[in-house]
Amino acid sequence: MSASTARALDLVSCHSCMKLTEQDLQVCPRCGSDLHPRKADSLNRTMALLITSCLLYIPANLLPIMVTEQFGRTSENTIISGVLVLIKNGSIPIAAIIFFASVVIPLGKLAILFYLCWTVKFGSKISSRQRTLTYRVTETVGKWSMIDVFVVAILAALVHLGGILSVHPGEAGLAFAGVVVLTMLAAKSFDPRLIWDRDVLTNE
Amino acid sequence: MGSQMHINRDDLVGRDHFIACPSCDHLADLSSMAEGDRASCSHCGHLLCVLHRAGLNRVMAWSSSALIFLLLACSFPFLSFESSGLKNVMTLPMTVVRLYQQDMPDLAILIAGFIILIPAMVLLLLFNLATTLAYGRYNPWTNVMCRFVFQLQGWSMVEVFFIGVLISLVKLGKTATIVTGLSFWAYAAFSICFILAITGFDRLQAWRRIGELQEAG
Ligand SMILES: [Zn+2]
Ligand SMILES: [Zn+2]
Repeated sequence: MSASTARALDLVSCHSCMKLTEQDLQVCPRCGSDLHPRKADSLNRTMALLITSCLLYIPANLLPIMVTEQFGRTSENTIISGVLVLIKNGSIPIAAIIFFASVVIPLGKLAILFYLCWTVKFGSKISSRQRTLTYRVTETVGKWSMIDVFVVAILAALVHLGGILSVHPGEAGLAFAGVVVLTMLAAKSFDPRLIWDRDVLTNE
Repeated sequence: MGSQMHINRDDLVGRDHFIACPSCDHLADLSSMAEGDRASCSHCGHLLCVLHRAGLNRVMAWSSSALIFLLLACSFPFLSFESSGLKNVMTLPMTVVRLYQQDMPDLAILIAGFIILIPAMVLLLLFNLATTLAYGRYNPWTNVMCRFVFQLQGWSMVEVFFIGVLISLVKLGKTATIVTGLSFWAYAAFSICFILAITGFDRLQAWRRIGELQEAG
């Protein structure tokens, strides 16, 4: 097994153009990118970004994401209270989509990335293939968390009838967008090859 | 696939049909790939490469149509909202402008980037790269553009925004009258062309073409 990886043969694959070259080269001869056998400082960077996004997720949920002004009365909604209002009004499918995009995806992503970092250090019973697949799914679905922020931006531009009925964006929007950007960066800085490096070590 | 067990290191360097999977680092032999084939990693399942037929011409076509649809989407009414006898017409750039007016310039810039600016930049780069590579007019900037376009791609949220629009329609549809404008349909067409343009431009196929041009020039 171990002889069929690039690292085992002292080769390095360019992260940008996928060219396979000798490990002692500093710069890719085809595209000019810096060459690293693995993403630089992957675990530390990923962990730092994950912890920051956890902290930012708190104001993202406590602050209002949307402020509705109707006949002079204003009502504020957080992400969760917005979902509850949708359920009360009978819009169950939309409530489910928003809940999934704003709560399940970001929290699931944080949990999975923390778990993957942990398994790189301490190993896991789940196969490397399974964990790599989980990582790829996490990386792909991450941007769908932005849905609620987009919905608020659209409603704020669309529902704009002065004092009679207006929707304003709340402060949670920026915090939540920050969570999405930071978790996307965390997923990009995690190197799934570290999962497999451990297999190679234990097989030898 | 079992042939991978006997890889001779000296056969690998300088041979472009061997690559290492970016997900698991296992080597894969792509020498038997023909046009129209796609190759996935036999160890982790990651999609390694798709050799598109007439790929560059398609990318030129999809990216230029997407740019035209994006221009249309920014210029006409997107949605209009009617309630209690009052009416408000919204354009696509208004989603960003309204956030800016409500003292959220950072969020406004971020959203403008995700739904308009980054996709527009990706399309301009794709069109430029596809024409350059198709007509063999390689220059040192081609490398910079090709590296940049793949980094930028992951940050466009065109399809996410479009689902957001559909959710807003359903959310308001119960209580008010919402009318879709020309730009709504233009943005829908733009989303489809955009996705076809980025999926039609394969990373490995593009870089191999650049490699050929480097050697020829
Ligand atoms: Zn390279
Ligand atoms: Zn693989």
